Amino acid sequence: MPDGGGSTPEPITRLIEAFHKLPGVGPKSAQRLAYHILRAPEQDARNLAAALVEVKQRIMFCSVCLNITESDPCSYCQDPRRDRSIICVVEQPLDIMALERAGGFRGLYHVLHGVLNPMDGIGPEDIHIRELLTRLQSGEVKEVIMATNPSLEGEATSMYIQRLIGPAGVKVTRLARGLPSGADLEYTDDVTLARALEGRQEL
Amino acid sequence: MSDRPRVYTTEGVILRRRNIGEADSIFTVFSPTEGKFDAVARGVRKARSHMRGHLEPLTRSKLLIAHGRTLDVFTQAETISGYRAIREDLDACTFALYCAELIDRFSADREPHQDVYSLLLDVLDALDAKAPPHAVRHFELSLLSFMGYEPQFDACALCGARLAEEDVLLSASAGGFVCHDCRSRAGAGRVISVRAIKVLRYTRASSLAQFAALKLDEQLGREVQSAVAELIRYALDREPLSGKYLDQVARLPRLAPPVSDRDDVQSL
Repeated sequence: MPDGGGSTPEPITRLIEAFHKLPGVGPKSAQRLAYHILRAPEQDARNLAAALVEVKQRIMFCSVCLNITESDPCSYCQDPRRDRSIICVVEQPLDIMALERAGGFRGLYHVLHGVLNPMDGIGPEDIHIRELLTRLQSGEVKEVIMATNPSLEGEATSMYIQRLIGPAGVKVTRLARGLPSGADLEYTDDVTLARALEGRQEL
Repeated sequence: MSDRPRVYTTEGVILRRRNIGEADSIFTVFSPTEGKFDAVARGVRKARSHMRGHLEPLTRSKLLIAHGRTLDVFTQAETISGYRAIREDLDACTFALYCAELIDRFSADREPHQDVYSLLLDVLDALDAKAPPHAVRHFELSLLSFMGYEPQFDACALCGARLAEEDVLLSASAGGFVCHDCRSRAGAGRVISVRAIKVLRYTRASSLAQFAALKLDEQLGREVQSAVAELIRYALDREPLSGKYLDQVARLPRLAPPVSDRDDVQSL
């Protein structure tokens, strides 16, 4: 912070502090951003302010799949052309964007907003597993695709959910795990390589 | 300072991960030569990172690490053991994470402890080989001993008298079993059955693998588990965070996993 008040006008100090709260923004970057706003055209600043307010006022979580949305239910849950018998479970809303970009999936989603992380005290009640169970009660859903990250925490979450909903008779599948494009075999870890070998396909 | 080599090699088990910034992570490692330490891996969350799979929690890896100003930096990592069976089984994975948390909580930064490291490898090897849950008891009690909290199982912890062949009180605050005469001044505790006493004592006389080979019925397993959990709680002065999760997983329904009928999707 500049000089602990005194010469810096109060609104600037407040702006610097606001930027400083953002992730990855240190005190120097916060100052630079604040002075950038000060020099920028007023309209830019107004747009930024309006966007900030709007995102908090108009964006909510879909009451069905917990995706972030402007209208409830979200556009995926409302779309009559999507297959209601398949739910793809993801960690974060951004994962839905990635899957949509990839194309090829026409079912519904469910966002957990996190993964199980017992060492940090994040348990099943801290992520949205219960809402998934509620969705399965209608009997309409035939398959749940676990699309959590292939990390220890993501795998643990998948296995937990699989064991939880297994008795409901719903098929639980997991995204294939193996080599990402552009990978080097030489640097690939043993677990991934073994899985890739098992999941090989005829050319 | 200037003579200090810029990099050092070690091996270690990755205990935990914290993500920072866009693509970096800080990993807590337990190493036989360095003890417990944190180091950062730059860009490790990118798909093309060379170190990604080698730094997953519960992986034993060879590491090349550069001294950093605040945090050391991983420069190379190669898996020694990926413990795949642990990764693919919810129970084993839960137990292993619990063990990792205990190692993390009980050890101080940069204090190497070869025996504790061997103990960690033993329990991971056992869980990877599908050892039953009570193998973890051997790990917990051995860890308590290495950390200076060895409970007194042979005689009364308060008066030193020989214990009769009967149920005894286990008091964490007294530091072990308490004879009938001393119960009133032992404080809180739980009464332990003769069968459980024998199991607890056997942890001293056996290796982890031998102890894991023991057959315990469910009731006895639970009794020993809660007895040891109390000793751990007392030594740590808190509940391990993964303890609650352990219970939640134990309460899940147990059915054979559904078999997928498509071969392009992997069933869990």
